[in-house]
Amino acid sequence: MSLSDPKTTAVQAEVQAREGGRVTVVLRGALDVQTMGGLWRELEARLRPLKVVALEVDATALHLCGGGGLALLRYLKMGGFTPTAKVTLCGLNEDLDQLLWLFAQEDPEVPRAGHWRTASVPEEIGASARGFTRDLREQVAFLGTMAAELAGAIFHPERLRWREVKRLCIAAGANALPIVSLLSLLVGLMIGFESAGPLAQFGAQIFIANMVGFGAVRGLGPMMTAIMLAGRSGAAFAAEIGTMKVTEELAALTTMGLDPIRFLALQRVTAGIILTPVLTVYTMFAGMLGGTLLMVSLGFSIPEIYNQMTTQLHLHDVGFGLGKSVVFGAIFSSVGCLRGFQTGQGPIAVGVSATRAVVTSILLIILADTVFAGAGFLLG
Amino acid sequence: MNAASDIVIAVRRLAAGYGGRPILRDISFEVRRGEVFVVVGGSGSGKSTLLKHIIGLFPPLQGEVWIEGENIVSARGEARARLLRRFGVVYQNGALFGSMTVAENVRLPLDEFTDLPEVGKEHIVLAKLKLVGLTGAADLMPAELSGGMQKRAAIARAMALDPPILFLDEPSAGLDPVTSAGLDVLIKQLSRCFGITFVIVTHDLASINAIADRLIMLDAQSGTIIAKGSPADLRDHSTNPLVRSFFNRQATPGQTINEVKFYGCENQ
Repeated sequence: MSLSDPKTTAVQAEVQAREGGRVTVVLRGALDVQTMGGLWRELEARLRPLKVVALEVDATALHLCGGGGLALLRYLKMGGFTPTAKVTLCGLNEDLDQLLWLFAQEDPEVPRAGHWRTASVPEEIGASARGFTRDLREQVAFLGTMAAELAGAIFHPERLRWREVKRLCIAAGANALPIVSLLSLLVGLMIGFESAGPLAQFGAQIFIANMVGFGAVRGLGPMMTAIMLAGRSGAAFAAEIGTMKVTEELAALTTMGLDPIRFLALQRVTAGIILTPVLTVYTMFAGMLGGTLLMVSLGFSIPEIYNQMTTQLHLHDVGFGLGKSVVFGAIFSSVGCLRGFQTGQGPIAVGVSATRAVVTSILLIILADTVFAGAGFLLG
Repeated sequence: MNAASDIVIAVRRLAAGYGGRPILRDISFEVRRGEVFVVVGGSGSGKSTLLKHIIGLFPPLQGEVWIEGENIVSARGEARARLLRRFGVVYQNGALFGSMTVAENVRLPLDEFTDLPEVGKEHIVLAKLKLVGLTGAADLMPAELSGGMQKRAAIARAMALDPPILFLDEPSAGLDPVTSAGLDVLIKQLSRCFGITFVIVTHDLASINAIADRLIMLDAQSGTIIAKGSPADLRDHSTNPLVRSFFNRQATPGQTINEVKFYGCENQ
């Protein structure tokens, strides 16, 4: 079946140069963006070298002229190819002629959100410092509100929407099990591999069990779990709340008299605080399993490895690791929610919030872990 | 020029829907070159679904869609890419790329599909923005524009390659009557000056009366076309109760709440 052929006959231009610097350009065919690819360059190449005094553009034979064609006609008319020439244009239909005339008029000023200009270095430093302190103030204010809400939730658990907490625990915790398992196992193996070489020089490979045990339970285990959750679930919290802000769902909550922090953040932070220690216990086992697998491959027996781990590793070490994981859980979930609430306008803002959530969470988690390590060392 | 060559879009026995579930059945109509053709119907009647199937976003369950002599349903590879450049689409919310300025949005198709020199592209972008009255907004980000300005910027982007056909999905949605009327004037001007064929999906009665040369009306229940013609024809001569209800802005039977008695209003 064939209906009609597209009217895409290529545009043609004939340049007629006469005495006294008088040049006529005759345009024929359909002049639009899709047909004038080479024409612009051709006209430039042919007209620029000429010393044109008077240029006449004849558009009588144009059977079609699109917006792009109009741009070329305007460029010809303003002397784009022939700066010294007086240009006349003829043969354009009345509507297009009017549009061309309209092009010469100034537009009314469009109001802008903010005039852009280059800021000086001191101004940029000042603006960054102001932004940093504002962000810090918002974080502290959010932390205070969250602490108050959490304290309230402990005394009034009915305030929490437990069904939502359960959904979040499943989405952020249970669904993260495969990736957490794999990574923890690999971290356990990695610690074992890295320590096996140096320890072998002293015939002390049995101490791989200590390294892996301490690493998985007190140090790397809780931190790795928190970083994985920050990347996976903290970013999701920020994106969810950020999208709700962009689509004005947060405004709807506020106008309904519901506090978005209590309605959205409280459930997420509670879920973060519950699921992080649970996942951390799992990570501890997976990490130790990784180290054990390596030691078995080196010829140690399971009872030997178990005895070595239990003589050095005590219950308070597990408690220390779990205590850290509660703090880490609170950090990644509250930062995710805060960045979501701070989301700006437009679809890009959601991506920016998710990125900021991950970066801030990881930074704060490592900072907190350093404080825990220092405190652990000083307090023995 | 004969009548056949005047037809730029032909939809033949189209059945369309999602997941194998038909929403539209046996849809056939033709659009002539240079006309403003409007698809109307109530909410949920499948107007946007029809548009998405015409522009090839979704394959139809059955039927054919011919655009400028090519069947978009069966077109593949370079033929399909060439066909897609023959029309522009303006989506309901503008769908401007938020990470680019207005000028960069309009320039994108020129960068991708033409070999014009830089100065040519700059002048074409300015010309398109001038046509929609947005020259001063060239360096603004889409988020800084009002709803009406976003729609106009989206039209400028859709016109970047001078396509002979423009599809508009609910252009007046979310706009105040004055801005909406301004958009109607722009559509008529572009149609008259450049001979662009417009296919517009809308249920805005004022816009329909202002711009439509011909229209079809879809029915949500049957999923078919229940009326074809000019707005004046349908408004003044149609005997179909659904068409009359639409043009007279009257609720159809079953949509009223007359039988419902509200607490405290029994005596009124």
